[in-house]
Amino acid sequence: MSSKINGHVSPQPCPHLLDFRSRNGPKPFRALHDCIRVKPPGGCAAIRREPSEVPRCGTCEESSRSRLYACVACAAVFCHAPLLHSHASDHALSIPGHEIAVDVDRAELFCCACGDQVYDRDFDAAVVLAQTVNATATTSTSGSTAMQCSVAGSQPENLRKRRRVDYRPWEPDSGEHISRGNQSIPLLDATNASLVSSTQQPWGLRGLNNLGNTCFMNSILQALLHTPPLRNYFLGDRHNRYYCQQKNGAINGTKNSRLCLACDMDAIFSAVFSGDRTPYSPAKFLYSWWQHAANLASYEQQDAHEFFISMLEGIHEKVEKDKRKSQSPGGGDCCIAHRVFSGILRSDVMCMVCGFTSTTYDPCVDISLDLEPNQGGSGKSSSAKSLNSCNVEADCMHPNQNGGISTLNGCLERFTRAEKLGSDQKFFCQKCQVRQESLKQMSIRKLPLVSCFHVKRFEHSSIRKMSRKVDRFLQFPFSLDMAPYLSSSILRSRFGNRIFPFDGDEQDASNDLSTEFELFAVVTHSGRLDAGHYVTYLRLSNQWYKCDDAWITQVNESIVRAAQGYMMFYVQKVLYYKESENQGTS
Amino acid sequence: MKHSVNRPPTPDAAEDQGKEPTLQEIINIKLIESGEKERLMELLRERLIDCGWKDEMKALCRAHVKKKGRTNVTVDDLVHLITPKGRASVPDSVKAELLQRIRTFLMSAAL
Repeated sequence: MSSKINGHVSPQPCPHLLDFRSRNGPKPFRALHDCIRVKPPGGCAAIRREPSEVPRCGTCEESSRSRLYACVACAAVFCHAPLLHSHASDHALSIPGHEIAVDVDRAELFCCACGDQVYDRDFDAAVVLAQTVNATATTSTSGSTAMQCSVAGSQPENLRKRRRVDYRPWEPDSGEHISRGNQSIPLLDATNASLVSSTQQPWGLRGLNNLGNTCFMNSILQALLHTPPLRNYFLGDRHNRYYCQQKNGAINGTKNSRLCLACDMDAIFSAVFSGDRTPYSPAKFLYSWWQHAANLASYEQQDAHEFFISMLEGIHEKVEKDKRKSQSPGGGDCCIAHRVFSGILRSDVMCMVCGFTSTTYDPCVDISLDLEPNQGGSGKSSSAKSLNSCNVEADCMHPNQNGGISTLNGCLERFTRAEKLGSDQKFFCQKCQVRQESLKQMSIRKLPLVSCFHVKRFEHSSIRKMSRKVDRFLQFPFSLDMAPYLSSSILRSRFGNRIFPFDGDEQDASNDLSTEFELFAVVTHSGRLDAGHYVTYLRLSNQWYKCDDAWITQVNESIVRAAQGYMMFYVQKVLYYKESENQGTS
Repeated sequence: MKHSVNRPPTPDAAEDQGKEPTLQEIINIKLIESGEKERLMELLRERLIDCGWKDEMKALCRAHVKKKGRTNVTVDDLVHLITPKGRASVPDSVKAELLQRIRTFLMSAAL
């Protein structure tokens, strides 16, 4: 049987451990379970018979030794310092069957005869359970410190295993130089001045006319027009609208069969990247989308996020109809929309009584994040209260909360935090065969090519029968590393070197690509819920451009940083080409 | 002979001899009882991660395991390997901070 620790196969038990297990029944460490104590500041597990016990070596009486081990067979505590004196080894060698001990300060099993750590599945499961229960207990009251400390930690090593070739910018060799000169026309040339504006704006920047409260659509379209993989797909003629329409006309002559959002997208891409700078009216697209989402067909203001989702669905549906086979969206092979945006979320629900965990995987095209309910660091004040000593704890515990400002990383941390499901949401545990209180934790199993983060600014309260908008400022980074939110990181950072009590395919599909992302588009909303306006900021050639319907202006990055983000689009860094500053002035 | 896991160890005979606890012992117990030791440990862990000490030790262990082979290394080997280097490379600022904290604690505990 091979058990896994963080995806690696755990070492085989030593002969002493096997011997111990065989002599002491199916759960040889069960008596230790009651002695597992989790210490509040760090969430580390220790072994104490009484909570206030001060362990000391039975032979030399010292309690200040750095390694103290309790014999699992007789509960006697001994110190272990192999070079000086090891009373633990003395004990182990003197009485057969007493080789296995447990480190009292680390709750790790140790074989005193072999001088090495050993692992037991059930014992580790019990420790994990105790740590989990403790972490959420402090979360619900004072804002967990252990969680935040360790989640913000180092990058998991298994993501770096694959050796990648370093990026080198392409330089044409002599042959390519020649053919380049012969057949190509410079894109930005003085002679093309009629097409290209004198301000040397980048390609693909074109205003979109507002057709009647359609800023929700314009803002999303602008973001999608500059989503690198999507842009490449359409500009690379991967969905040719003429061919597609011809094919549809041949199959079924009715109007509905010619409805294809991807074709309309293709048309918009052609128009926007044509070089023509006059504002474009996406009327055909609007009409097509109305036909797809009939319930939203009106000139009323709509939610940009809702539009985004419905659009992706529209592109996916059409493909399904064509191919007549339903591929799982998580696989990303079904259509370009999912290929670009679809990732996989992992949800672990753990029974707090027996530790049994049920894991499910769901595809998602974006992540909706909640803003903090109250102002500032909700964890900060109460954690200072619970630790009645000087402010070093409060300072060092919250590296991500910059004096109370909400950040995107903070939201992601909260998204991946273990939360206790309320008593009215008890989960049916397979093992206990009854509804029990449970812990739920989300993490990301597979990262998409483009991560879209949606900030839940529109609150619809069915209780009070009203909706309101949350204007709270959210700070978002221009470069984002998603490593701490991956399933492997989340699980590893909490439980460290333990055999996981739950089985799951620990191999992250995201091993293929890196976890670093670059921001390229921000959709912002200003105004009230019923009367507001969407504007998109795009990052091209390291410059920011404000796309306000038909008006495109270049803006300073500080404007973007201060904007009220509603949807943020990040693309994998490897797909993001930072064009050189002096584009077109060669 | 069957040993019960829950049986507490027999009281040490040494206690009856009236052995004086050392100052180190007294301080240690006071630190543990007040919970200060845990806080200090947590602080130390943070500091040693921040200054890269933990990563250094990890790298040392890795190199050793690579050399010796995964199955030929025990925890005791690693502890033996990094203890002297680890003790020597703790930054002075971290030592000073911890000492200051302990000093403050001792004064407040009115030993």
